[in-house]
Amino acid sequence: MEKPIAEGRRRFIKSAIGTASALALAKIAPAWAYPMGRSYGEVIKADNPVDLHIRRENLNIGGKIGRPITINGNMPGPLIRLKEGQRARLNVTNALDEDTSIHWHGIILPENMDGVPGVSFPGIKPGETFHYEYDVQQSGTYWYHSHSGLQEQLGHLGPLVIDPGDGDIGADREHVIILSDWTFEDPYEVFRNLTVAEGYYNYQQRTLGDTLADIRSQGLAKTWEERSMWNRMRMSARDLLDVTGSTYTYLMNGRDNATNWTALYKPGEKIRLRIINGSAMSFFDFRIPGLEMTVVSADGQPVKPVTVDEFRIGVAETYDVIVTPKGDRPYTLFAESLDRSGYVRGTLSTELGQEAIVPELRPVPERGMAAMGMSHEMSGMDMESSGRDKSGMDGHHDMPEGQGAKMAMASQRPSAPDLGVEHAPGGHGPGAAMIARQPVSRLNEPGVGLEEATHRVLVYGDLIGAHPWPDEREPVRDIELHLTGNMEKYMWSFDGLKFTEVDGPVEFHYGERLRLIMVNDTMMDHPIHLHGMWMELENGQYPRPRKHTISLKPSEVVSLQISADAPGSWAFHCHLLYHMKAGMFRVVNVS
Amino acid sequence: MRTLKIVMSLSLAGMSVPLFAGHAEDHWPEPIKSYRTGQVLFDRLEVTRTDNDEDLIVWDMLAWYGGDRNRIYFKSEGENRSDDGEPAELESAELLASRLIAPFWEIQGGLGTRGSIASGAERENYLVFSLFGMAPYRFEMDNSLTVNEDGDIAVNIEAEYDIRLSQLSYLQPRLEMGAALTDAEEYDRPSGFNNVRMGLRYRYELSRELAPYIGVYWSRALGDKADRVRDQGGDESEIGVVVGVRMWF
Repeated sequence: MEKPIAEGRRRFIKSAIGTASALALAKIAPAWAYPMGRSYGEVIKADNPVDLHIRRENLNIGGKIGRPITINGNMPGPLIRLKEGQRARLNVTNALDEDTSIHWHGIILPENMDGVPGVSFPGIKPGETFHYEYDVQQSGTYWYHSHSGLQEQLGHLGPLVIDPGDGDIGADREHVIILSDWTFEDPYEVFRNLTVAEGYYNYQQRTLGDTLADIRSQGLAKTWEERSMWNRMRMSARDLLDVTGSTYTYLMNGRDNATNWTALYKPGEKIRLRIINGSAMSFFDFRIPGLEMTVVSADGQPVKPVTVDEFRIGVAETYDVIVTPKGDRPYTLFAESLDRSGYVRGTLSTELGQEAIVPELRPVPERGMAAMGMSHEMSGMDMESSGRDKSGMDGHHDMPEGQGAKMAMASQRPSAPDLGVEHAPGGHGPGAAMIARQPVSRLNEPGVGLEEATHRVLVYGDLIGAHPWPDEREPVRDIELHLTGNMEKYMWSFDGLKFTEVDGPVEFHYGERLRLIMVNDTMMDHPIHLHGMWMELENGQYPRPRKHTISLKPSEVVSLQISADAPGSWAFHCHLLYHMKAGMFRVVNVS
Repeated sequence: MRTLKIVMSLSLAGMSVPLFAGHAEDHWPEPIKSYRTGQVLFDRLEVTRTDNDEDLIVWDMLAWYGGDRNRIYFKSEGENRSDDGEPAELESAELLASRLIAPFWEIQGGLGTRGSIASGAERENYLVFSLFGMAPYRFEMDNSLTVNEDGDIAVNIEAEYDIRLSQLSYLQPRLEMGAALTDAEEYDRPSGFNNVRMGLRYRYELSRELAPYIGVYWSRALGDKADRVRDQGGDESEIGVVVGVRMWF
């Protein structure tokens, strides 16, 4: 153990450095991201009406000058706090030299207030102010972002929290954590790099050395079997995220790792963390080493509490968790990108300037045969083989749940309905480099890189709605859509056709209850977002959890129940920004 | 180079071909616009020293512009022998229309020319059809069939394979084969296999766009072509070392 004197001195130095950097940071962090939390009374309560000014300006991002889009001078934009039952009035002024927009992600509102240029309105021209106005009929954690071009990548986004009518947040204090990915490159240059040079940002590919190591450890025959499958398909088992930490600086509330966003707590308090993945292209695995998290809400909608040690959050998803820190010590808020190419951390502590141990990045995972939809018979736990270094899976070994318990838990989970999925005989054309021959439900799998975790990782199968939803009719109609892609050409689409190639919208009949079946015929994870209506996930639980964005693993099939109760045209798309830009976008018409 | 890249990136932003209105109002913009881009790639731009102590400058490049299904290509290969006082020799210069017909394959058709780039030189003009793309096991391929004005048919096959040594370095074997289906006396291509060329190069990416390399190659004339070379007192096989750069913008 440390000597008392040394410890005292170290703490002094640390806190001195910490305070200095915390002061320096105050200039770059959005005002709402002050660490005191809600109970300190520092909350930026949104005025009514709210005025938002969209600008492009220089800003210090992780110690370097970038040129993001700011909202009221901040990137991310201000925390907008509304109350269930109020009428929201938001004036958005465009001070850019191009069109802009704001989409209120996950909010149920009239078609013309949804903020998608070309679908719900014409967009906001430079110099114009658009007046958004709608009744707030829900509560929870949401966010807002531009739906114009690639502006999201420039930081045109922010958190949106709606207090419940009774004002009870179920905790003594709360903090909002919005994760994002920033690049100093021009987003259009990023898109072009992806388009003309496959794997441009992937510096974690398999090498000759990996193959030789595999031959040594598992023999030539098995290695050949594995590698030949991937190579024959011309795909990479390490194709995990298109844009990686090689260009991204991951941010937590606008701050990078060095500037360490800090959330404060008092010992004994129950704290609600509202975690939003506001990134353009990054799935994150979020955990707080040494602290378990009780998930109470998914995509803003309440779920029955489920206690986990880690969860994966897809782009545009939100989770609320309750944590109760023990004692008087700092904890690291750790968000690791799915491909382990980077992370962002913050700190949960009792005073500014503290920090806890930051875990190391885990080994780069590899997709297994399940990703190709080829291993129907494999048991639930080893669907995807994990990182090369199987011993070093985890940075912390004090997690309570053992592998055995985890297996038992997994087998107790109800499973999603069995869906017979059929592909068109000719596949989906050149826009689809593969079709999942045997798509399966993967709702009870934690996802690539987390299969062998010995601690509790949230899976969609764990989510149970807090209460039944108003429409309990059985679906009368199935609509099936396939997620398709061609990584080599960077083509992304539904059913093999980009948005610019389809000849009409997806038709929902107003008032009907329908089942949307989606099949992921690609090797990537995709967060699929439906505007204007909730999707109830058929994960075998009752009540079903309700989502605005659903992440599909490779070769996965999911089914969702939807009440087509929102007349008009709505966007439906992959929330990976460059996939949407490439054409993985449809319009749903409810009439 | 960077300027060009930015110009191309911006052209991505600006391109718009309204095909489908997914919305109620016609004057609204499309929510997702179609896009086109392009690339200029010098796969090989190298200085060669042959075993006959000859020095050559060799290029092998392509440029394309378009969307993801339809593109226009320009491809060119050639060499210039230093000290011979002659202008460079075009192995091919082709302008092609390209259509993606399968996830990894484009079918291409167009016009090409071969011969000395000297003005007034007699060149061989031809029609060309190519199957361009990636074969299973990730072999990059460009297979072409050419028909000249006299009806002579020739086939050319090129295949490259990247062995990744590290995240930035590669070992790349390369194979090129030429054959003629008909006797083309005028152009010195007897029917049958004419030549084979194998190369191996090691390249290191300074960036994704710029990768210098060193390598060796072995080439050999085959069949009747080999006899002809021998009859003319030439050497039917050649070995060389190359130093060059692979780059794109």
